Amino acid sequence: MDYLLHILILIGIYVILSVSLNLIAGYAGLLSIAHAAFYGVGAYVAALMALNLHSTFLVNIICAVIVSGLLGALVGIPSLRIRDDYFVIATFAFQVITFSILNNWVSFTGGPMGLPGIPQPTIFGLQVSSHLGFLIFIALFCALTLWVTRRIVRSPFGRVLKAIREDEVFAQTAGKNVAAYKIIVFVVGAGMAAVAGVMYAYYISFIDPTSFTVMESIFIISIVIIGGTGSLWGPVAGAVVLVLLPELLRFLGLPSSVAANLRQIIYGGLLVAFMMWRPRGFLGEYAFHRKEARE
Amino acid sequence: MSQALLEANGLFRSFDGVQALSNFSCSLRQNEILGLFGPNGAGKTTLFNVVTGFISPERGRLSLKNSDITGLPSYRLANLGIARTFQDLRLIRQLSVLENVLLSFRNQPGERLGNLFFRSKKSHDHEALNRQTAIELLEDAGIVEKADDRADNLSYGQQKLLSLVCCLASGAQVLLLDEPVAGIAPEMIDKILGIIRNLPSKGKSVILIEHNLDAVMRVCDRVIFMDAGAKVSEGTPEEVRNDPRVIEAYID
Amino acid sequence: MWQQLLTNGLVSAATYLLLAVGFMLIFWVGKFFHFAHAIVFTAGAYMAFLLTKWLSLPLLISITLAVLFSTVLGCLIEGFVYRPLTRKVASPLVLLLASLGVYIVLQNLISITFGDDTKSIRVGPIVEGLNVFGSKITLIQILIVCVSVISVSAVALLLRKTKIGKAMRATASNPELAKVSGIDTDRIILWSFALGSALAGVAGILMALDVDMIPTMGMNALMMGIVAVLIGGVGSIAGVALGALLLGMAQHLGVLYISSQWQDAIAFVILLAFLLFKPEGFMGKKIRKATA
Repeated sequence: MDYLLHILILIGIYVILSVSLNLIAGYAGLLSIAHAAFYGVGAYVAALMALNLHSTFLVNIICAVIVSGLLGALVGIPSLRIRDDYFVIATFAFQVITFSILNNWVSFTGGPMGLPGIPQPTIFGLQVSSHLGFLIFIALFCALTLWVTRRIVRSPFGRVLKAIREDEVFAQTAGKNVAAYKIIVFVVGAGMAAVAGVMYAYYISFIDPTSFTVMESIFIISIVIIGGTGSLWGPVAGAVVLVLLPELLRFLGLPSSVAANLRQIIYGGLLVAFMMWRPRGFLGEYAFHRKEARE
Repeated sequence: MSQALLEANGLFRSFDGVQALSNFSCSLRQNEILGLFGPNGAGKTTLFNVVTGFISPERGRLSLKNSDITGLPSYRLANLGIARTFQDLRLIRQLSVLENVLLSFRNQPGERLGNLFFRSKKSHDHEALNRQTAIELLEDAGIVEKADDRADNLSYGQQKLLSLVCCLASGAQVLLLDEPVAGIAPEMIDKILGIIRNLPSKGKSVILIEHNLDAVMRVCDRVIFMDAGAKVSEGTPEEVRNDPRVIEAYID
Repeated sequence: MWQQLLTNGLVSAATYLLLAVGFMLIFWVGKFFHFAHAIVFTAGAYMAFLLTKWLSLPLLISITLAVLFSTVLGCLIEGFVYRPLTRKVASPLVLLLASLGVYIVLQNLISITFGDDTKSIRVGPIVEGLNVFGSKITLIQILIVCVSVISVSAVALLLRKTKIGKAMRATASNPELAKVSGIDTDRIILWSFALGSALAGVAGILMALDVDMIPTMGMNALMMGIVAVLIGGVGSIAGVALGALLLGMAQHLGVLYISSQWQDAIAFVILLAFLLFKPEGFMGKKIRKATA
């Protein structure tokens, strides 16, 4: 039973991560493999504050969202000047640099040893300690994330994002400050990813840099792409499938190292397959078409 | 102080050694339709790009209602009251016809996240109002039955009509139309020209690029002929058509 | 001290250069962001391992066959993944994502087959290396520098003097025009993959001979190569060589001021700087984003 709850919690975390990345990559069309950096920064900020300042959960999560949001703005800046396939490389660079800082700044982040002993969060006077407690908590945040995202994508703001995705020139002509939209969407997406990071840190009570690598970023973008870009429920479906799949492998009795590799082969393979036959993913509507060329 | 609505003074711009605009000056008066024509590569679209902020001039100034607008970014100019269509027909094909029109409205509170979450009634009401206006515009244009279709489900002529409707939705005073009737059927040409001809009575001013001389003559109050980035002739359609320099440029 | 750093920088530069030139050829001629180049690199090393350690073939034969294998692998990826995608006029992003997927699948296959621990194809005892200009350099490292310089010069000559080279340059600068002039651009692109992948295989084997191999060795090495290409500019072999040299030097000499653990971060900061301020590199053509 605990195992089932654990899986559901993981799914919840990845739902938040993929829905937030979908806002950036699926709706605004800004493909990014820096999302694990936002996830990690959120986790580390909350953990460091909890361990060193003994501040409350609410304060920690707010700070985590703010710091991650700032990083998001930073990552978004190159998208104003660089073509989309080169921009992906820039996000890769940001991801690796962030990982490098988390891994090498030992005095601050604990380096490869990570941060153990993160205390259990206390919310409204209740201490969250059981799996069930965490699950309820994560479910609430998932619902919040989905609600916020739904609000955004169905609004005029969301309409502008879709316009930018297809033709920035048209959007500019319609009076939209494209640069501002791009930065904002990165800030929001990064902030949401930070929430997932905070939940992860409190749940596992131990974090280290290996959870926030480039491969993790690629995993999250795979969820978005396979589940369906530019749709609200696509990433949710993707998260469920891609988190459950490796767990099913476990029942086949494979040694865990092979299972880990097999899991990656599966989503790598699915990525190639979808690119070749259905680039917009299962439930998606955006297939990373060529953007409009310059005048 | 000039009476002109939009004024371009001494614009220069070159690309890879080719002079696209050469000391080009013109002015657009209130409620007038100004035609711009000339051979390919004359610099007409470059002029549009400069006026809408996509390209900055190397030299020269632009002003709108006597305020200097040189060098402003394109979205700012769009919000100051300049709207345009494109020669290669830009629309957001993934969105519906109605959504394309809705996109073109300026100053929508629902486009700001703050309003979306904290002043949601205001955003909602504004959007409902825009929706109503958009549908009316589509009705006037005769394509309202396509409102929920994807923009790329329209015929080419209907898409051109849609671009014009988007310009109308913007509320802009200055409309820059780049070949609005090129490549479409005669009935649609008449329809679109009819709409354009009525724009001055709605307080709008238009600069029109067209190769279709007949269209230009029918609709324009004044006409400018351009060649190699420079203004060659200016005047009423009749005057320019009979200008020997223009005839010569076409023979060349 | 600094002489050693200089030498280390040179060796790193040489390895990056081999990988960078191969990657650049593929990107320049076919416009593919061939991320899976990293796994062709790795596969070359592991094939050499398989042949020497599991099939006990002599080293030189193993190396030759492994390079051949890399070449074929690269061509297979082009034929089965990229070509069908370009037929469908897929956008650069779709190609990039497919490439990423291919990398992930193949890297994990290598992990499953050989394990994640370090494998070695080194021969002989670990020697200290020769003393050259006050720094130590091993025979393998000297080999790396020589092979790199020779191969890259050969490629430069090929591009300049041979018919295939000229066809590649034509395809790179204007594919439509090349097709119209009778060049079979599909075949030329395949050639660029063959050549680039061969270089990658050589690079992988050389690196393995120097510092052993692990399944994830490719991604990092390729990123360094990409930085070199960005610094030097797409389309210029000399530029890439300059870029590789600058990068190798910056990383190693940087140790004088910053701890070596930051080497990767330094490379990526350089990458960002170039992407933002000089994306065409020192000698390449402009690729700045369309601002219309």
